[in-house]
Amino acid sequence: MIEVFRNIQAQLNETPHLLRLGRLFSETVLIEVGEDQLYLTFEKGQLVEVIPGPSRKTPWRFAFRTDAEALEKFWQPLPEAKFHDIFGLVTIGRGKIDGDILCLVKNLRFFKEVMALARPAHEVAA
Amino acid sequence: MSIEPITGRYVTITVEGAPRRIYFEEAGQGRAVVCLHTAGADTRQWRHLMNDAEITANNRLIAFDMPWHGKSLPPEGFETQEYMLTTEAYMETILALIDALDLDRPVLSGCSMGGRIALQLAALRPEKFSGFIAIEASDFQPAWYDIDWFDRPDAHGGEMGAALVSANISPYAPKAERENTLWMFKQSGPGIFRGDLSFYTRDDSLIARLGGIHTAQTPVHIIVGAYDLTCTPQDAKRTADAIAGATLAVMDELGHFPMSEHPVGFRPFFVDALSKMPSQG
Repeated sequence: MIEVFRNIQAQLNETPHLLRLGRLFSETVLIEVGEDQLYLTFEKGQLVEVIPGPSRKTPWRFAFRTDAEALEKFWQPLPEAKFHDIFGLVTIGRGKIDGDILCLVKNLRFFKEVMALARPAHEVAA
Repeated sequence: MSIEPITGRYVTITVEGAPRRIYFEEAGQGRAVVCLHTAGADTRQWRHLMNDAEITANNRLIAFDMPWHGKSLPPEGFETQEYMLTTEAYMETILALIDALDLDRPVLSGCSMGGRIALQLAALRPEKFSGFIAIEASDFQPAWYDIDWFDRPDAHGGEMGAALVSANISPYAPKAERENTLWMFKQSGPGIFRGDLSFYTRDDSLIARLGGIHTAQTPVHIIVGAYDLTCTPQDAKRTADAIAGATLAVMDELGHFPMSEHPVGFRPFFVDALSKMPSQG
């Protein structure tokens, strides 16, 4: 799982509109995928560190908790309904968000688009 | 260069005892179909259907911006008011607009909160309409979010609202129309999305009224997208089941803003809905 987020890290740093969107976002986010924990540390929109957990010494602003199968479906080019958005995962009990949710909401487009960077592009008929 | 057939004008109506300057658009001829936009948006959601020559050959589509939305002004003194939409004011606005445009029993077609109010009018004022197309509409939806998030001095409510509602757009939607749909939320005035959501997520009065809707006189057709997290197919089915004679269509590849997010995908469902409505008012 950490490789996926390291790829997201590389992609984010090559995505100027997201770096601009996240220019005020300097926080650590906990990602929990089943038993695995990852800490994503953002500095002014850049994902500067992806650190495996667990860690009792790493404070985080908000957490997104899910499972590997749900994330795999989330990252499909055309995800099935409910798996197409982090809030969809929450509505079916396959995702959980806690911590400073207002911080997430203020940066919601940024965080959702960062999470979706691992989703391959698809062609959609006009 | 091509000039679209949609025309826009203004009309002043009275709501809650005070004037409201309303912007409305129309296209087509024949049976009148009044189209209601969703929360936090405006008439632009309907532009694809209004530009569809086959649909407008026999249907006069009319869409208007609710007060405080789009190009309709808020009431005088708005700067000291807290915008909170109510069922009563919403119904009064629609009925006043219909009278002002001298429409004789139009079809009422609304999406999301527009679908909710269409069902309220089906229950309470059916004599003013010939039928109801309720899109992404259900009896009641409590909020799974805090509506106060979207009206804060320290953040852009429109940006946050757009980021939230993007969860309701299907991945099958063309990228350009997804973004055009979200743009309307980003443009909505401060507190407007919150005020619309107050109506949508707190007023559950429709539940007890559904049994009083008589579809033999005024047909009710409900349409729902599988990718809608706010009004799910289960919510729409529950609502349709509570209205004797109501029909339901589920769109597997669409979300909460079908006419706006994926006009090509939505078109056959809207054409089917129109075919279920009386040909004249």
